[in-house]
Amino acid sequence: MTRRASSSGAGSSLPFVVRAMLRWLLDRDGARTVMNDLQELYERRRTRDGNRAATAWLHRQVAWYPYHLLANRFRATTARRRSAFGAGTTDDSRSGEPMESLLRDLRYSVRSLARTPVLTATIILTVGLGIGATTAIFGLIDAVMLRPLPYAAPGQLVRIYTDSPPNLWPLSVADYLALEDQQTSFQQIAGYTNEAMTFNRGDVAERVRGRLVTWRYFSLLGVSPLHGRTFTSLDGAPGRAPVVVLSHGFWIRHLGGKQNAIGQTIRLDGTEHTVVGVLPPRVGPLEHGRDFFAAVQWEPPPRKGPFFITALGRLREGTERPGAIAELRAINRRMFPLWQTSWQDQRASWGMTNLKDHVIGDVGPTLVIVFAAVGFVLLIACTNATNLLVARVTRRQRELAVRRALGASRGRLLQHLLLEAGLLALGAAAVGLALTLGALELLTSFGDDYLPRTQEVGLSGPVLWCLAALTAGSALLIGLVPSLHGTRSRLDEVLRASGRSSTDAVGARRFRRLLVGAQFAVATPLLIAAGLLVGSLAELRRVDLGFNRRNLLTAAILLPEAQYPSPTDVIAFADEATRRVEALPGVQAVAFADGRPPNEVSQTNNFDLEDHPTPHGQSQPAVPWVGITREYFEVLGLPLIRGRLFDERDEAPDTLPVVVVDRAWAERFFPNQDALGRRFRSGGCTDCPWTTVVGIVGEAKYVGLDKPDQGTVYELIANFQYLMVRTAVEPTSILPSIRQTIGELDRTVALSNVATMEEAIEDSLDVPRYLSLLVSAFAAIALLLSVIGVYGVMSHFVQQHTKDIGIRMALGGRPSDVLRLVVGQGMHVVVGGLVVGIGGALVLTRFMSSLLFGVGTTDLLIFVTVSAMMLSVAMVACLIPAQRAVGLDPATVLREE
Amino acid sequence: MAKETLGEFEHQLLLAILRLGGEAYSVSLVLELEERTGREIAQAAVFIALRRLESKGLLTSRLDEHAIEETGRVRRYFKPTPEAMRRLKETRRALVRLWEGLDLARDEAS
Repeated sequence: MTRRASSSGAGSSLPFVVRAMLRWLLDRDGARTVMNDLQELYERRRTRDGNRAATAWLHRQVAWYPYHLLANRFRATTARRRSAFGAGTTDDSRSGEPMESLLRDLRYSVRSLARTPVLTATIILTVGLGIGATTAIFGLIDAVMLRPLPYAAPGQLVRIYTDSPPNLWPLSVADYLALEDQQTSFQQIAGYTNEAMTFNRGDVAERVRGRLVTWRYFSLLGVSPLHGRTFTSLDGAPGRAPVVVLSHGFWIRHLGGKQNAIGQTIRLDGTEHTVVGVLPPRVGPLEHGRDFFAAVQWEPPPRKGPFFITALGRLREGTERPGAIAELRAINRRMFPLWQTSWQDQRASWGMTNLKDHVIGDVGPTLVIVFAAVGFVLLIACTNATNLLVARVTRRQRELAVRRALGASRGRLLQHLLLEAGLLALGAAAVGLALTLGALELLTSFGDDYLPRTQEVGLSGPVLWCLAALTAGSALLIGLVPSLHGTRSRLDEVLRASGRSSTDAVGARRFRRLLVGAQFAVATPLLIAAGLLVGSLAELRRVDLGFNRRNLLTAAILLPEAQYPSPTDVIAFADEATRRVEALPGVQAVAFADGRPPNEVSQTNNFDLEDHPTPHGQSQPAVPWVGITREYFEVLGLPLIRGRLFDERDEAPDTLPVVVVDRAWAERFFPNQDALGRRFRSGGCTDCPWTTVVGIVGEAKYVGLDKPDQGTVYELIANFQYLMVRTAVEPTSILPSIRQTIGELDRTVALSNVATMEEAIEDSLDVPRYLSLLVSAFAAIALLLSVIGVYGVMSHFVQQHTKDIGIRMALGGRPSDVLRLVVGQGMHVVVGGLVVGIGGALVLTRFMSSLLFGVGTTDLLIFVTVSAMMLSVAMVACLIPAQRAVGLDPATVLREE
Repeated sequence: MAKETLGEFEHQLLLAILRLGGEAYSVSLVLELEERTGREIAQAAVFIALRRLESKGLLTSRLDEHAIEETGRVRRYFKPTPEAMRRLKETRRALVRLWEGLDLARDEAS
């Protein structure tokens, strides 16, 4: 015989997936024939049309197969049912029949689902939870990341920044004025800086969040006011009466939402501002959370820094981005020589980014992780439902067989089973929709502090499409497999086997185990991800702050500039406030500062060391700069390591400037040397007096718990933002008296943002905490569903093998053998899933590295702990049915059989 | 008129078998139908229709042992039964009667 290929290898060069699908959809003979045909047609096409066309054709052919088969089945259903009535012929004139049968099946499905309420509820709730959570997170991703910004022609909007790798920072006044003056690539340029101010009305002082904007700000974004006007080129000019545009919320809260508010004045930081406009209630993400917008025009500055202006640009239509960036760099290069006395960093240039990227920030990885987590939960819920339905269909084998014997075709049964799955999916969709609505509502009201653009979250078109797609996908996933399985077995076999429980279809059992294995395979990466996040959070909590975090009260405090114009006024206030608050019972020490651990620092300064000058044209080092009053170190309890702390001498008006640095600064810039007495000039100034290091203290965190200590400089400053009080008692108990004391001193000064240091630390961990909580919750659900899965399969196994076990026990088998048999069967599946899952986790957790602190993406301890936990929980789930098997009385079992 | 008429695709398939000499296997049928109708034919549709026609007793089939030995491939040849021929003729007659006296054909020809 001269065979070129064995007949059993029919279609062997077809892709594996194609072959697997055909085997699954068709009987053996059919699958072989079809594979043969496809192979032969494919080869002919390849010679005629080429490889690509032939492959595309093959994909089309295969993709349509399920449709053709289903269509054929439905046709067969009606035809056969009719032939059961008539004399072997069918009558096409009886139209409306398929619809009738569908309705009848629908009623039947509802009734049959209602007969197993626990199963039905379990599936609807778990799959509904998966659908709802996935849809809600998709809604969030859609609103935050996918949708364009709600401004006119948002694609042209960019943010312009100072680019000095690895740092990006805002522009300075000098930069901004040069940019506005010289650029040609942009239709419009605008700049803004956020500023908190004190709003006074009568006796009440309130800290409000404002923004100083250049007059083109609103027209650049395309924002129109609800009432009044936005700014014109005259607004904000020096010497003109200050004008503001109010947010809708501020207008309602403080001006009663009245039309005549336009033209009125309000008192901000002690200065009267005229209200010229009110914004609409719904504003874009940039305006969200701001109470007012004041027009500003900056004057040419004496030196290049500081850098505090967020610059926005609207690109001219047709302008290419590379061209615009080249122009930005050229302007920056041209202005470099002009400011060389106060700015030597020639490497720093300008860059730009889409405004959308600026608004979204770095939440991308977090959202994607959460989305993946909920997607996994949905997958597991569907697998669980499939498993339960396969079991159900196996139990109903006899019912189905009887229906077939009475004339129902396979197609009709398939229709009935698919309808059941469809109904379950619809129920799940309803649960999911409710959950989505609730979750989106929660996200809009509470997500604001952690995520941008939450006010745009809502039940939009894409969200509904997502819900529909997930529902359809779930229906297919949970419906197709059990239905095909339930209608495939041969009638006579089932009927012959009835009455004997031990002849469960081997295929079904194997398939259910495969499903449980798959559940564990999906749950494992999820649990490991949760473990990594929890471990990372624990590491963050363990970070040494460098000081005692207990009994430390902090509050933001703002002195209106109009009342405290000079440093002397501010210092006088601080001294008096310190004296009075310190006199309160329970207070140990009081200080003021312009930053607050663990993550608030108001300035980062560059500096040039006398001993190691930065070469011309290079970037100078930059570190966090914290302005404090003398008592600060005492209040925090930062230890003095060398030198001295600040004292009265340093506060005298014409002494040379001195600073205290922390140990990290000393070790970074003067390794193995003494940093005391070293001198530098900061802020790019070349002719300022030298600043001397007089003391070295322990490190404290200012830029976040997860950031390494890179050195901090402390200076005495007369411009502070925080009041810090060390107490001997529970800090919040003294808060009312502190408020009263400050109020007595000056009733226009407001305390806001009050928090104990412990609260401030927890607040700084909000994002990692919520993320780990969320992923852990999803992981727990995933584990629970997987355990239910393995429990179900093993219970079924014991039930099916009651007789074997009985015989075994009757012949003197030991209970431990039975235990080992049952648990071994179950754990076999679990371990398989776990191994696959760990492999998956090794790949997937790599994408999490930016979210982790102190733990690696392949942290052995967490991998081992999670695996051990999953194994032990699964073990318990297997032991319960195993115990039941051991408890069987052989005599009873055999008698019953 | 017969109680059960042929479906359009079944009709086409039977005619294609006759065109191919009264006996044909699925691949040659796909190619013939594509050639004659000028559109892509889903192999699934042919495969399913052949099975359906066979189960209705309108086709008989045989395995070509020769082909297995030559190519290593299973080919099942299908042949219309006398009942199928009767139905075909009946359908044709019905159609011809309906076409009588209509001018559309001439329009198309010109």
